[in-house]
Amino acid sequence: MPPLGLPIYGQARAPGLSAPRWRSTAEQARAPEPAPGEFPEGAAEPPSALGRRSFVQLVGAAAGLAGLAACKPPRQKVVSFVRPPPEETPSVAAAYATAASRGGYGVGLVVTSREGRPTKVEGNPGHPASLGGSDALLQADLLELYDPSRARGFVRGRRHLGRIALLQELSALARAQEREGGARLRFLVEPTSSPTLGDLRRRILQRFPRARFVAYSPLSEAQARAGAEIAFGRPLDASWSLVDADVVLALDADLLGRDGEILRQAREHAARRTTPAALSRLYVAEGGYTITGGVADHRFRMRSAEVLPFARAVAGELARRHGLPALAPLGAPAGGWSKQAAAVADDLWRARGRSLVAVGPRQPAALHALAAALNDALGNSGRTVTYRPTALLDADDGPGPLAALVAELGEGAVDALVVTAWNPLHTAPADLDLRQAFGRARERIVLASRDGETSAAATWRIARSHPLEAWGDLRSRDGTASVAQPLIAPLLETLSEVELLAAFVDQADRGDHALVQDGWRARVGGTGFDRAWEGWLAAGLVPGSATAAEPVAPDLSRVAAAVRAVPAAAPGLEVSFASDYRVLDGRYLENAWLQEFPDPITKLTWDNAAQLSPATARKLDLEDRDEVRLAVGGRTVEAGVLVVPGHADDAVTLTLGYGQRVAGEVGKGSGFDAGALRTAAAPWFTQGLEVTRTGRKADLVATQEHFSMQGRAIALAIDAPELAGAAAELDEHRGPQPTLQAPVDYSKQDYRWGMAIDLSRCIGCGACTIACQAENNIPTVGKYQVSRSREMHWLRVDRYFEGTPEDPTSVSQPLACVHCEAAPCEYVCPVNATVHSEEGLNQMVYNRCVGTRYCSNNCPYKVRRFNFLDYHQRMTPTLEMLQNPDVTVRARGVMEKCTYCVQRIERARITDRDAGRKIGGNEVVSACQQACPAQAIAFGNLNDPASDVSRWHQDARRYDLLHELGTRPRTAYLVRLRNPNPELA
Amino acid sequence: MSALFSPRSNAVFRLVLVLLVGGAGGSVAAAMVYWRIPYGTGQAAPIVQPVQFDHRHHVRDDLIDCRYCHTTVESAPSAGIPPTELCLNCHSQVWNKSPLLDQVRASWFSGEPIRWVRVHKLPDFVYFDHSIHVSKGVGCVECHGRVDEMPAIEQVQPLTMGWCLDCHRDPYAHLRPPSEVTSMTWKPDGDPVEVGRALAEKNDVHPRTDCITCHR
Repeated sequence: MPPLGLPIYGQARAPGLSAPRWRSTAEQARAPEPAPGEFPEGAAEPPSALGRRSFVQLVGAAAGLAGLAACKPPRQKVVSFVRPPPEETPSVAAAYATAASRGGYGVGLVVTSREGRPTKVEGNPGHPASLGGSDALLQADLLELYDPSRARGFVRGRRHLGRIALLQELSALARAQEREGGARLRFLVEPTSSPTLGDLRRRILQRFPRARFVAYSPLSEAQARAGAEIAFGRPLDASWSLVDADVVLALDADLLGRDGEILRQAREHAARRTTPAALSRLYVAEGGYTITGGVADHRFRMRSAEVLPFARAVAGELARRHGLPALAPLGAPAGGWSKQAAAVADDLWRARGRSLVAVGPRQPAALHALAAALNDALGNSGRTVTYRPTALLDADDGPGPLAALVAELGEGAVDALVVTAWNPLHTAPADLDLRQAFGRARERIVLASRDGETSAAATWRIARSHPLEAWGDLRSRDGTASVAQPLIAPLLETLSEVELLAAFVDQADRGDHALVQDGWRARVGGTGFDRAWEGWLAAGLVPGSATAAEPVAPDLSRVAAAVRAVPAAAPGLEVSFASDYRVLDGRYLENAWLQEFPDPITKLTWDNAAQLSPATARKLDLEDRDEVRLAVGGRTVEAGVLVVPGHADDAVTLTLGYGQRVAGEVGKGSGFDAGALRTAAAPWFTQGLEVTRTGRKADLVATQEHFSMQGRAIALAIDAPELAGAAAELDEHRGPQPTLQAPVDYSKQDYRWGMAIDLSRCIGCGACTIACQAENNIPTVGKYQVSRSREMHWLRVDRYFEGTPEDPTSVSQPLACVHCEAAPCEYVCPVNATVHSEEGLNQMVYNRCVGTRYCSNNCPYKVRRFNFLDYHQRMTPTLEMLQNPDVTVRARGVMEKCTYCVQRIERARITDRDAGRKIGGNEVVSACQQACPAQAIAFGNLNDPASDVSRWHQDARRYDLLHELGTRPRTAYLVRLRNPNPELA
Repeated sequence: MSALFSPRSNAVFRLVLVLLVGGAGGSVAAAMVYWRIPYGTGQAAPIVQPVQFDHRHHVRDDLIDCRYCHTTVESAPSAGIPPTELCLNCHSQVWNKSPLLDQVRASWFSGEPIRWVRVHKLPDFVYFDHSIHVSKGVGCVECHGRVDEMPAIEQVQPLTMGWCLDCHRDPYAHLRPPSEVTSMTWKPDGDPVEVGRALAEKNDVHPRTDCITCHR
């Protein structure tokens, strides 16, 4: 055996394939010394709640009730249908296509329904905005449906109204407004693309010609459309195609996490990251660390305000070096980024027609216009970037129209304000002072799915139906329409947005189904409508409804004028706002799955934080978790500091949505309200932030150092040209290991289940984590338990940094049980609670487990999770409906872990054996694999050489995790490929 | 000074020791025995259903196949409890004034389902699937007994894990051609084990004993 030049046990390593990687600055600072223990301190201690007295009480009660064990519980009842619905077979899952709204645009979904209750959300493979992928938010939206703290019923003042009474009183209100033509009636709505809502708005405006709809989104993309207005004279939406782009320059554009059609873009990006000869190259210029920045080949960290000058520098280099004099007026000297700007310009030019400049919605309109000009000059327009009229009903959903509404409210010019936008009192820019003005409207009608700040200030509180309870329709960015059908009748007394708006034209009693269907009947018509309608519902979209891309020609003089009109950034500390990967704009604050979902970059749970770079922290004399007072423009908030490696210097990033004034059991006390610093003039970033330490420490809980694998080579990444030369080094991470124990031969079995995860495709978004949670009935444990490393996620995504803390690159690695063929957990279990199946699955038998936790201690991958408490104890009836009936709900005191979605394997086995065929090599799809928008996970039968997972296991980039331990894991990893520009080496 | 403990205390102490040790062991043993005797497993417990439905009459006298009512037994994990509508397929014509069927008619007209009492109950962590057993030729009678002789359904088999495993380890005596699955009286033509082996070969019967076969 050759000497193992392996990077194990924290030895110092040379850069390259297995360069040292670390998960936090603290870990990097203490490397190479291994952490003192595998679990954080206190992880193994029993809960302190059970004192001596309660113990004695429990013992007494147990003794007193012992005799009851002899009594049998009453027999269960079996309830049959009276008239069985034709599409429902008890105990068999059904799937229905529907659509969800993301920023007003539609994303196609396929929802699994068990006995009439939706239990799992997936992307619709046929829908252009999903392609079958989903993200953490879409997965977790299901929990909102069953949330016991949802708002219910209708309240006017202090009177509870029934549905009929509500509609009658709304009708009376509408009649009263009709006299003045609705001059004192206003609607504050979210941007939406729904054709039905568009129809209703038109009908309302016909009845009330002087009423007005104001759309507001705190995550508005209005600046992007304003940029198109500058460049093309029309507010068009840009659509990016990453699959055709060899070189991508993302200017503060989180293409894989926030901006645009992230699911499609992630799929396209991943498709270009696997073949060493055909890799795309991704440049990202950004301030805060984003998902896209994490996978970038080159990440230029700069303050958000420096992105425009950088783009101008690129334009200048293109004009100067590549004969594009038309761009010269747009250019500017490069400042500190000249080398990078030149290299990017050269690269873009080399790939002209196959390159892409994308700008995120946080950047000013001028930069969007500049990008349009650059794409046009590079010949990308119509190829990698296309422009379409926006599918939204309102092109401007930014602070402008809202400011006008606030002014009207302040003048007392509004009698009745109907709010269907999510919690505008929380999301409105602080300087507009909507909170003050809101009370000036006499009738404040708020449609909300839970009690928030806005509904607390309302005079009419109307509980809102969950999208899975209501009919609706949506268009995706390319115009493709979907009819969103409900999966379940409203669980509570609620109203949908369609019904509320219909009440203003006295149509609500017809119900949302009739309203949506009649709209489409009028729009499409024809004799075959009913059949076509059924087809749309089945497919989840209306075929042929996409709009064509518009030919465009930018007006360079207007672009130049706009670019030059942008003032240079003021010096000083920049404060920058971003939507949160977990709570979005705050609407998921009460969602425990998302609260406990570690942020893809910071791994923070249950809070937001003031993110800043290590250098800025030093400059301000701050440490991780210091509490600081942030002040800008006379407004202050107090926040915890989180030092994020790779963050831009002299900038602080705050994510929105936390710190809501009115919050429920889950969201209470969670984070701080970054929106309190946000103004209408500078909704995304501004300079002049002052930071002072309060002297206290913030209680921030991040999972980034949990379940450490002690500094061994785990997540491997390599520059693509070096891959061929690294074969020998990679061979040390794969292949047979010498062993005294002859390996079990699984090759004769019909099935040898295995998984492969391509780190090149993985973007680290964490959709798999939440998909696994939804599929496998995984509980949340709360912030305090997370702080003791007791989170229950079977599948975690580890994020490793590499390089200096100032400017590191990162690798994300999803990790669940790898189903070792020689599993260390099995040797140490005293009760055979974890054993191997004949096909080589590492089975966990909950009923045998006595909770010694030896298995977890002996697991080198740290993927076993222990039920320290009875997390499912307090399940409400609605939460019981959420559980997947195919998976056991675990009780306190048992160990659990990834099962390779064995319930799906067994389902496929029985279905196929009933039909007399074998399970196909790719037939079984694990929950994580199904959710992954980047298709980074392959699962299937390793004994079928044609299966995807077999091919991935044979890949030149394949390696095994902790291979030196000889565990022979069934999950293989594929090395991440990087494609850096040699000119920037 | 008299002795602190009387001579009897030795005997008492021994008795206490025996009771403590024996009691602990005995409790465990008693529980183990309890779960194995018919009383513990619920076999042959008399069960009163809300509607006095007589399987004996419907199966033996009327010759109705099991699958006429338990419609999903071949295709789904659950065999299916017949909906009220299915009862009335016949009973809207025959016995449509019988007081025994009052509840069925009430269910039909009110829309309130009939609440039957569950007879065969597996624990929640057991995932049993009717379809695979039926398609591989395990007769209804193997687990449910001679339903054609039961005026009221009772549990005849213990439904313990050991009982499941007995058959999963050695299924041959319990196999029959899939076409005869619902027959209550089918008898193998020859040695049951030999016939079973031939059927297992023919129908690709491979019962598994991995934990995940039933527990997920």
